[in-house]
Amino acid sequence: MKSTLVASVAAIAAATTAFAQDLPQAGNDWFTAGQERLQAELAKQPNTSKAKNVIILISDGNGVGTNYASRVWAGQQEGGFGDEYVQPHEAFPNLALVKTYNVNAQTPDSAGTGTAMMSGIKTKAGIIGVNENIVRGDCSTIEGNTVASMNEIMTEMGKETGIVSTARITHATPASAYAKSVDRNFEDSVPEGCTQQTDIATQLIDAMEAGIIDVAMGGGLRHFLPEGTEVAGVSGRRADGVNLVERAQGLGAQFATDQASFEAVDAAAGTPILGLFEGSHMMYEADRADEPSLAEMTGAAIAALQAKSGDNGFFLQVEAGRVDHANHAGNLARVVADQKAFADAVAMADEMTDDADTLIVVTADHEHAIAFNGYCGRGSDILGLCMGIDGAGVAHTGEPLLAKDGHAYTVAGYLNGAGSILREDMNWAGVRPAVDQEDATDLDYNQQALIPMSSETHSGEDVAVYAKGPWAHLFDGTIEQNVIFHVMHHAATAE
Amino acid sequence: MLKRRDFLKTAAAGTAAVSCPAVLRAADGPIKLRELYAKGGGFSELATEMEGKRLTVEGFMAPPLKADMKFFVLTKMPMAVCPFCETEAEWPANILAVYTKRVVDVIPFNVKIETRGVLELGGFTDPDTGFVSLVRLSDATYA
Ligand SMILES: [Zn+2]
Repeated sequence: MKSTLVASVAAIAAATTAFAQDLPQAGNDWFTAGQERLQAELAKQPNTSKAKNVIILISDGNGVGTNYASRVWAGQQEGGFGDEYVQPHEAFPNLALVKTYNVNAQTPDSAGTGTAMMSGIKTKAGIIGVNENIVRGDCSTIEGNTVASMNEIMTEMGKETGIVSTARITHATPASAYAKSVDRNFEDSVPEGCTQQTDIATQLIDAMEAGIIDVAMGGGLRHFLPEGTEVAGVSGRRADGVNLVERAQGLGAQFATDQASFEAVDAAAGTPILGLFEGSHMMYEADRADEPSLAEMTGAAIAALQAKSGDNGFFLQVEAGRVDHANHAGNLARVVADQKAFADAVAMADEMTDDADTLIVVTADHEHAIAFNGYCGRGSDILGLCMGIDGAGVAHTGEPLLAKDGHAYTVAGYLNGAGSILREDMNWAGVRPAVDQEDATDLDYNQQALIPMSSETHSGEDVAVYAKGPWAHLFDGTIEQNVIFHVMHHAATAE
Repeated sequence: MLKRRDFLKTAAAGTAAVSCPAVLRAADGPIKLRELYAKGGGFSELATEMEGKRLTVEGFMAPPLKADMKFFVLTKMPMAVCPFCETEAEWPANILAVYTKRVVDVIPFNVKIETRGVLELGGFTDPDTGFVSLVRLSDATYA
């Protein structure tokens, strides 16, 4: 079957080449590049082996729009126009669009979306590892409504698993790998009278003790330390007085809090690894100092999981947690820098594994209320002003386009958030402030927004899922977000 | 054209403190709040040079902790709080406590302001609010 398929592919290839040679545009670079891509598509073969390893990398808040901004920025950092740049995941062979809504929310949150990807079911917003029968915040509704996570299922299959995030490791997306909680906010305590579940940090160390989570690295140290205790300059928040770091160390875990202790971790030791590099979230990539990058943590996690799992393989969830936070702040400069750090982590995961036996899935949990203006010429700074199109050339004119109010405007903007041009002291009227290129491209700039809110919001718009490796070709068309779990599970269990 | 970053680099490389261009600039023009901090924590060279001197800093007035105070917190970006991501408001790493000459007339959190006062460094706990600051402007005005 395979040889006839290859033969017919060759025949089609020959036919299209002949067709191409007849056209006046045949020598055009775009035309030849298009032909090359066509050949690559024709040569694609599905990989139907069993996946020994599965890695899912989730950039929180990196919908198709945010991902576009990040692509252009990364390309412009390298001196290009930006649009032509290819992020590592964009070179993956397979892709689908993903519908991200939660059962009770048109606009999703990361708890509901994390549960969809980790457990294969959609559920309500704000709850983790539990189904839609839960009343958010009500512990009495949890019994009989918990679901198994991919990390638990993979552990049953004899694999090692890990989680890495730049957010608190107790935050929604990483928590969806190990926790069952009627509220995502129960990070270090549960309300009085809630006896049916424990807090999320406790559940992580429980999972470590049970051998479900072997590597956990991110922020959130304060949720693991008792009140009145200080470690690495971080004061504990736990009212129950339990020191979860000491508990993890009692299980033999190696513990890291900064760049030096991270580098001192012995990946081959076969012990659990707990890295908690900040009291709350880790730093934005643009501000990062004395803590590992997402790519470094991803590399260390893969090395440790490979060493420990041998032929059994591993499952790893990596989250760029702060692409989301910078979007919430309406601060595109930090969004794109964190997304570049995410792309570097994708490249690291790809480099350290073999496409033949490792399924790599790259996606986002949801999009934000980000949008883009026109009509900008090539090379307009994605953080800065929309410059004119040059009819006589390729690069933009260098002249900012002006809106009806006579002011220039940025390429990107937000529909709502702290960058709102409306002012409380003017009875919520507003006048769009003038903006110049220096202001707009500053690291701390808020792109202009319309609706005033203290935090820019998520949106229900689709995100993409990019994949390579065994069964990656099952990512196709427009899918519900929980399908991601089913493809990963199929890849790991296929005979 | 030299960027700010390059100015700071030049400043770090220079020997005589008076030649620090950021310090010269800070004496009249507004500086950005982040210029008071070194990357990863601690004070910048600019901050140490300007301690006890009057300077102008741009930023945003965080929603006041209490009414009718002669104190507000300046943030480098509008204070954004994500109700879905966070259970509580968290101060960003780089902030500036501003002690004003007169009772604060609140400016919306999303409107950029400039504030001018005398730079003070070192830990201080506000007796009224319990707010702990590492960097302050005292005797300040703003607009
Ligand atoms: Zn969010």
